[in-house]
Amino acid sequence: MDSVFDELYQKYHHDVFQFLFYMVRNKEHAEDLVQEVYIRVFKSYHRFEGKSSEKTWLFSIARNVAIDFFRKQKGWKERLLEKFDWSTNQVMDEYPIPEEITVQKEEIKWVYKCLEFCTIDQRAVVILRYLQDLSIAETAQALGWTESKVKTTQHRSLKVLKKQMEMFYEKEEFISEKVGVER
Amino acid sequence: MKKSEWSDREIEELLMQMPKIQDHRDPRDIYQNLSLKKRKMKSWLLPGLAAAAAVLLFFILVPKLMNGSNFSYDQAQEEKSTMNKDMSLADNKIDSTIALDKDNASSTNREFSGTAKKAELMSTNSIKTALYEEEAGEGTVLTYWIPDPQAQILIPVSIVVTGMKDKSWLTLFNENMANLKEEDWGLSDFYPLKLKMKLAIKMKNNNSITVDVPKDHPYGQGSAMETSLINVLNKDISSNSKIKKIRFLTDGVPGIELGNYGKKNEIEIIREKNHAFFFYYPDSSNQPFITPSLDSYNNIKTALEAMKTDQPELGLKSSLGSTLPIHNVSIAGKTLYVTIKDNANLKNDQHTLSSYEALLLTAKDFGLEKVFIKNSSLTNIGPFDLSKENKVPRAPNLRTIQ
Repeated sequence: MDSVFDELYQKYHHDVFQFLFYMVRNKEHAEDLVQEVYIRVFKSYHRFEGKSSEKTWLFSIARNVAIDFFRKQKGWKERLLEKFDWSTNQVMDEYPIPEEITVQKEEIKWVYKCLEFCTIDQRAVVILRYLQDLSIAETAQALGWTESKVKTTQHRSLKVLKKQMEMFYEKEEFISEKVGVER
Repeated sequence: MKKSEWSDREIEELLMQMPKIQDHRDPRDIYQNLSLKKRKMKSWLLPGLAAAAAVLLFFILVPKLMNGSNFSYDQAQEEKSTMNKDMSLADNKIDSTIALDKDNASSTNREFSGTAKKAELMSTNSIKTALYEEEAGEGTVLTYWIPDPQAQILIPVSIVVTGMKDKSWLTLFNENMANLKEEDWGLSDFYPLKLKMKLAIKMKNNNSITVDVPKDHPYGQGSAMETSLINVLNKDISSNSKIKKIRFLTDGVPGIELGNYGKKNEIEIIREKNHAFFFYYPDSSNQPFITPSLDSYNNIKTALEAMKTDQPELGLKSSLGSTLPIHNVSIAGKTLYVTIKDNANLKNDQHTLSSYEALLLTAKDFGLEKVFIKNSSLTNIGPFDLSKENKVPRAPNLRTIQ
């Protein structure tokens, strides 16, 4: 096995995988994409200048891979298939929620569902800042943004999440009330 | 912890509690997949190449299939057709080698513009092919008989040599035969003859010619060659002179060894007459040679009748078809009177002109001097005025050799 791969795997594999998983919200896709990240890393490893840390560099590659994935998802093929396949329109999120999430408490599940409503940039910031525990500066480096852009994006994403959480709460309230009435 | 209002802090805490999702695959597998994927990246290249090859093949095959029925034709046929195509472009060139009026021969362009001015009736590209008395002028007319590429028939080709009045016809004949462009004309390369021809001056009445062939002459090597030689000599001499005999010498010694004839010392010139004239189209041209049949005919009526059909075994095409449908002919003195079928639709074009010339040449071969069409709907065919009698040509198929 390649020594470079070994090193990268040991140090960062799980972080990168985690990032990709929360970005695309599907384990299989995340597994494919993490491979793609490795391929890109090997292709451009010699160009890595050490300006940023290896970790932020890997995240920036992972983010590009995820963006490419979303672009491909919205390719002409998918758009064409969407036209003929009405079943997908009815079910918005066909991806199953992984076991790791389902065993968690209600609020965690909600947050996971709410992440869907964030934009790709917002999701990336949320994942890097809170799940990966990166500082604002590191996040900015990984995304190639300014720190202030990271801050505003973070603020907006929290706002979106809050709003969605409230909606979930109301729905839940409504269901439990209904259940209460029936009883 | 359920409530309707969430603070940023609470959301942040919730996010931090999000479970770690593990990739349960073995790193070895991942690495293996990596190299597999690398190969996979290239694997689309193969179908891509196959598709490119298929497209290429398609473009190669489609033009061939477009030809459809021509597909089974052999290579030679194809070559021929492409050659015809090339040559039709070059036709102007070939046409321009056909000498027109002696005065105008230097410039075909002038001839074209001249005809255009003369009358709208005349088609600009109608060109007469034979040589007429007024065009020959002071020059010496020489007729060479050249075999076609299949060596089946001999085609007379005439040239005019001017300004050589003091030389005998035979001297000019010998001098000019090297200049013939048989292959350019679509005929077989036969001249210059590999022999020496001399007038037998010693003979009192000057009525024989000596033909001296070298010892290694090629004319004894096959029956086609020697038949061609005898026929060519016979026709060359009979159409250019009044000589009656050929004496053969081989390297100065009397006699010639010919496979079919055995040893020959001399032959009599046979003056053949009463031929019908047909069109012979060389491969390279749509301009026919007007060439006599092998057979002789008893009278001009049967000859003209024969000219209405092709002689495919000799490669000869009908010269009097629908273009000049002859109803009846009669002879008075030395003039041939022709009546055209009533429903005939005569056109003043090149083909009709060639048909008319074939008629003139046939009349000449039957010893007539003039031809008159009694009921022509046209006043002109090419340069010919049909309202009067037209003289028969001096010699067929005029070409220039410069």
